[in-house]
Amino acid sequence: MNSITPNKRPATNEDTCGPYFPDPFCDADRMDLVEVHPGLVATARGTPIVIEGRLIDIDGNLGNGAVLEFWQPNDRGIYRTPAHADHPDIDPWFDGYARCRSKDGKFSLRTIKPGALADRAPNVTLTIFSDGISRLVTQIFLEGEAANASDPLLTSLPEPLRSRLIAKSTGANDRGEQVFSIDVVMAGNNETPFFDDLES
Amino acid sequence: MTGLGRLLSIGPTDNTSRERTPRQPLQLIPEGARESFVPYSRVQPALLSAEADMTRLAADLPRAAGEAIEVSGQLTDEFGRPLRGVLLEIWNANTFGRYTHKEDASGLPLDPNFLGLGRVLTDQDGKYRFLTIRPGAYLARPDIGRWRPKHIHMSVRGGSSRLVTQMYFANDPHNDGDPMRILMGDAFKHNVAGEYDAGQPDLAAGYRFDIVVGGRNATFFENDL
Ligand SMILES: [Fe+3]
Repeated sequence: MNSITPNKRPATNEDTCGPYFPDPFCDADRMDLVEVHPGLVATARGTPIVIEGRLIDIDGNLGNGAVLEFWQPNDRGIYRTPAHADHPDIDPWFDGYARCRSKDGKFSLRTIKPGALADRAPNVTLTIFSDGISRLVTQIFLEGEAANASDPLLTSLPEPLRSRLIAKSTGANDRGEQVFSIDVVMAGNNETPFFDDLES
Repeated sequence: MTGLGRLLSIGPTDNTSRERTPRQPLQLIPEGARESFVPYSRVQPALLSAEADMTRLAADLPRAAGEAIEVSGQLTDEFGRPLRGVLLEIWNANTFGRYTHKEDASGLPLDPNFLGLGRVLTDQDGKYRFLTIRPGAYLARPDIGRWRPKHIHMSVRGGSSRLVTQMYFANDPHNDGDPMRILMGDAFKHNVAGEYDAGQPDLAAGYRFDIVVGGRNATFFENDL
């Protein structure tokens, strides 16, 4: 035995979420990060947008029953983390964390268009938990952003894969908010690039 | 430029795993983007004490069918630092192997005294404790006779820690054929609880399940909620 080896504890294995994640656990979670609460006037700073998506499996079917988590910075590119607790650009009415269980494999997130920090393009981190797989993570970018061309994550991918992370603009909803749409393909043709946050 | 990370494996005899497991290796995250992959969950629900006792719907209602068990343990990161104030979401099948979820179409019996879900927060030492009913195994693939062993689903969320896992029981005859257990290999032992005497006549057993949240995300931000 090498006494210099750090005595790290072995991690508990990630496992599938199974098909039956209880919906009541999501009761207090939100898929609208613009309004602090539907009954209050409080709204987040910035430009509201909607990101719609579909989870697709290897057979082209919708990936039902998945738990989806979203994470993004506010309109000025600041994440709501302890590291930024005293940051002057924090928006007290914007949290940046959303979660839902999608019965049918579709989702719709109403949020603030994320700002960009340093050399990053605006993006939303997506975590997927579902039956059959352990946690998958990727990021969603927005069509039409000049910074997409130089984003370090997008440009780390082979060129043909980059567009698979970019949600396409599909016009405006009846509130005049720009709507983006993306297919997240878990396996097979046009598979979405997923990222390894354990080994990275 | 970065490179490629893990290639995920497909669980044998698991249809959903075949359908949903990415076939391409995962991509490594360039350092400049690493922090953006660490979601931070501040919001924690105010829990009722009854949520930690899944063996009955309310304190004044009858206990559910089957064996009442205690599950307890400590949540830490890989360095043994306790994960404090972290939310544990728990769900499991009833003694007959049936979930109360609307989408469980197994037809197995429901138990009117068992909902099968609970929540607890870890304390200042990262410790937790809850009561539930020992879940039944259930036939996941009737077409090939493949069962899911007894298991309790758990989701850990708080600060930058995030883990969805399952706790298994030693000596379950269905453990060996389980697709996820096969993928875990020897590491499966980290997901098997250790049995102890709960010391109460109305509890059939206690199970010690210490949860170690791995990866850099686990302690990216100090967990002091
Ligand atoms: Fe299950």
